[in-house]
Amino acid sequence: MTSPVAHAPPMAATAGKGIPSWARLGVIFGVVSAASIALWAPIGVSGTYPRFIGAILRRVTPEYAAANPYLVKMGSLLKPETFLVIGLLIGGFLASRMNREASPETEMVHAGEKTVSARYRDAFLGGFLIIFGARIAGGCTSGHIISGITQLSVSGLIFAAGVFASGIFTAKMLNAGGR
Amino acid sequence: MDRIYALLVGLAMGALIQRVRASSPGMIARNLRLENLSIIKFMATTIAIGTILVYLLNLVTPMHFDIKPTYVVGVLVGGLVFGVGFGVGGYCPGTCVVGIGEGRRDAIWSIVGGVVGALAFTLTFTTIVAPMNKLMDFGKITLADVLHAPAVAVAVVLGIVFLGIVALLPTEPGAKAKS
Repeated sequence: MTSPVAHAPPMAATAGKGIPSWARLGVIFGVVSAASIALWAPIGVSGTYPRFIGAILRRVTPEYAAANPYLVKMGSLLKPETFLVIGLLIGGFLASRMNREASPETEMVHAGEKTVSARYRDAFLGGFLIIFGARIAGGCTSGHIISGITQLSVSGLIFAAGVFASGIFTAKMLNAGGR
Repeated sequence: MDRIYALLVGLAMGALIQRVRASSPGMIARNLRLENLSIIKFMATTIAIGTILVYLLNLVTPMHFDIKPTYVVGVLVGGLVFGVGFGVGGYCPGTCVVGIGEGRRDAIWSIVGGVVGALAFTLTFTTIVAPMNKLMDFGKITLADVLHAPAVAVAVVLGIVFLGIVALLPTEPGAKAKS
């Protein structure tokens, strides 16, 4: 029985015979992540969100921005991390267009998402929670899980345990009624 | 120079995330429902290769490590909140940026949610988050510190364990259960 909710384009889980594409791409990403630590710093994405808020608040209400210890700690939007995020945007665009892929249709992710507006609502709510959670923990999938565990940091292992425990539970619960 | 390195790392990371389909929220949901493990195995491969490489390179030349502090309560709570958002939205702070690059409409809502989340976090930081993050704070500790072992040995063993798990886990455990 096929799931009625998954409308993802068919994906090449394995690149023909031989090495599956996730394994090949994982090895390349491992080299990129190591090169990043060798040349610059460990990768990290979620800190750019509060730096963006800081840049806005410094224009709108400079007194508040200067008095907020968190915004002071996170610093300016001109940090290299922001350029990493710009790279993500361009990298995603180039990889999809160079492989002649059109913009993907909006995917319905859970059984409860019957309309596109329900999907937008879930994307918004999810976006809010991932950044709120990542900022409590001090990092996200890239900073804590990928480069955190790569550096053997204990915090990365604890964060990953929390993410997969509640992530697996949430994803299974949201789809439980739809089958 | 750091900004250029960060931009190049971001470009590579964005392309890899796009190619492995980690920017697809449907694919992330299938991974969290444990129907398809390709993204989880991709991440584990990345960490395995990265940790072995950085700690071997560290024997030759110093790396730009940046270990995140292990404040157990905050890191775990943050991970659990992140996991709920990950399960609901199917996006990470970085994969939604890649998603916008390849033209996903719902990814825009994830970013908007993230920006609102960052604002909410900034406003509540001093009252709620900072006191919680003082609980059980062990500072910047690594697995090598905990085990009282040389970091390079821990890195090689962890990398081999991760690669072993990746090799043993089926990529599509859900495919068999479905028929």
